[in-house]
Amino acid sequence: MITTQNLTRRFGALTAVDSLDLHVDKGEVFGFLGPNGAGKTTTVRMLAALIAPTSGEATIAGNELGIHNRSIRRRVGVLTETPGLYRRLSAQDNLLFFARLYQIAEPMAQVERYLKLFDLWERRAAPAGSYSKGMRQKLAIARALLHEPEILFLDEPTAGLDPEAAKTVRDLIETLRSDERTIFLCTHNLDEADRLCDRVALFKTRLITTGRPQELREQMYGRRTVVHLANYRAGIENQVDLPFVKHIDVVDERLVVSLDDPEAENPALVKRLVELGADVQFVTELRVSLEDMYLDLMEANDESS
Amino acid sequence: MNRLRVLLLKEWRESMRNKMVLFGVIFLPVILVATSVYMITLGDGADDPVGQIILFNTSLMYFLLLPAIIPLAIAVYSIVGEKEQTTLEPLLATPISDLELFLGKALASVIPALVVNWISFGAFLGIIRLLVGSVPLQTLTAPWLASIFGLSPLLALFSVGITMIVSSRASDARAAYQFSSLAILPGIIPLVVYSSSKTLVDLRLIILEGGVLVVACVAVMYFAIRLFRREQILTRWK
Ligand SMILES: Nc1ncnc2c1ncn2[C@@H]1O[C@H](COP(=O)(O)OP(=O)(O)OP(=O)(O)O)[C@@H](O)[C@H]1O
Ligand SMILES: [Mg+2]
Repeated sequence: MITTQNLTRRFGALTAVDSLDLHVDKGEVFGFLGPNGAGKTTTVRMLAALIAPTSGEATIAGNELGIHNRSIRRRVGVLTETPGLYRRLSAQDNLLFFARLYQIAEPMAQVERYLKLFDLWERRAAPAGSYSKGMRQKLAIARALLHEPEILFLDEPTAGLDPEAAKTVRDLIETLRSDERTIFLCTHNLDEADRLCDRVALFKTRLITTGRPQELREQMYGRRTVVHLANYRAGIENQVDLPFVKHIDVVDERLVVSLDDPEAENPALVKRLVELGADVQFVTELRVSLEDMYLDLMEANDESS
Repeated sequence: MNRLRVLLLKEWRESMRNKMVLFGVIFLPVILVATSVYMITLGDGADDPVGQIILFNTSLMYFLLLPAIIPLAIAVYSIVGEKEQTTLEPLLATPISDLELFLGKALASVIPALVVNWISFGAFLGIIRLLVGSVPLQTLTAPWLASIFGLSPLLALFSVGITMIVSSRASDARAAYQFSSLAILPGIIPLVVYSSSKTLVDLRLIILEGGVLVVACVAVMYFAIRLFRREQILTRWK
């Protein structure tokens, strides 16, 4: 759905996006993560044919960037960083204006459909300026969807929302997930990316890495099982002589065991610990949060550059 | 519906809800028409021929002020408003072309300015007829008609072009207002001077003014169109 090659954008002497190579499949929810000023918005603007790359190429929904820009604009929807609504116009008039600009067949019916879907129908006649922040964000997402785009770009859809409004928006994104629609999600909220995204890219001017969140974790940290014992006996970790156990750390009197295939290997591990006289209380998988991983990767990236 | 029409209707719908814009579009013409009517009725009965001429020339000038000022009121808000509400980016994300956007914004100001101006002129003649019983022939001469139907559109275009350029650079409506109102002066200065002259407006002056305005409009529109490119709007506009 989205393929880029060496996509680069400079503003004067500043390089905002440097030789970006990306590939996003149809139907994927793709998370684009990076710190402030990483170039996320610049990337979205290029991919939505709003600003031109300085160099490099991209194909978006089968259309070459720079050649078929209008066709790209017809096929993608963009939730911009700020919702951008006409405050004096009603929610309905805001949507109708865009529906007509996209020249969709039955603008009225489509607007009604999305206002109802997003629970805004009752308040359709109120000026958008009177809406709460969360409602504005929903209205802006509705606007990005009116023309049924094949690709939806969401630039920080939950930024600045309270937890409840953020959850509403996240649930909404969840319902938009379908095989037909590709979602490109820029976010700072790593928990959100972890929950919503099939794949994520870590990006700071350059691409740092891409992958499924779980795969990235395993690549970076391997898989680890945490065993809580009732009475930790010093040295017990050295007595666990199982071939598949790669390493055991003791943290707060808990065993953190590195292994490749915990589903298959945990039962034997527990059996061995019981044989050694340990009282096993809990066995859990250690999940590194995407946040920790992100911070580690960013740190490594800053050191290397 | 074509996109230009969609954009125009949106602009007008928004303007109707904006008190500042409504003030400029409705209140100003009412005041100017009332003043003109007063001056003409005064001049009509006056014995002093020079005084009469000045009154007629001044009221003609009012109908040339309107098309220059009304676009200012509409265009400032239609561009600065778009910036303040951060609606430019979603707008540019649609398949609208740069030219459609430019024309939509320009015509959204020029059309009402001319309509209001001509309605005001009609109202002016109608009221005078009611009050005096006849329309003074001085208001239906070639220079008058050439001004009202020939110069007005040019003044409106010039004014809208300047306002669009200034508004693209200004971050708030107040600043845009101040700078654009200064910029429309060159377009009307000759008429201001003429309004105090002792002879009735002469067709040659109108034609000269028209010629200068055509050149000025072409130049201003050229620069305004160049500013109205997606890339420029998103990366250069303040
Ligand atoms: N129009 C512009 N002119 C000059 N520099 C720009 C322009 N737009 C963006 N930049 C610069 O490009 C870099 C990337 O900006 P961008 O807005 O794409 O970052 P971002 O990842 O979206 O950040 P954030 O998380 O804060 O939204 C920044 O250093 C920014 O200052
Ligand atoms: Mg951004």
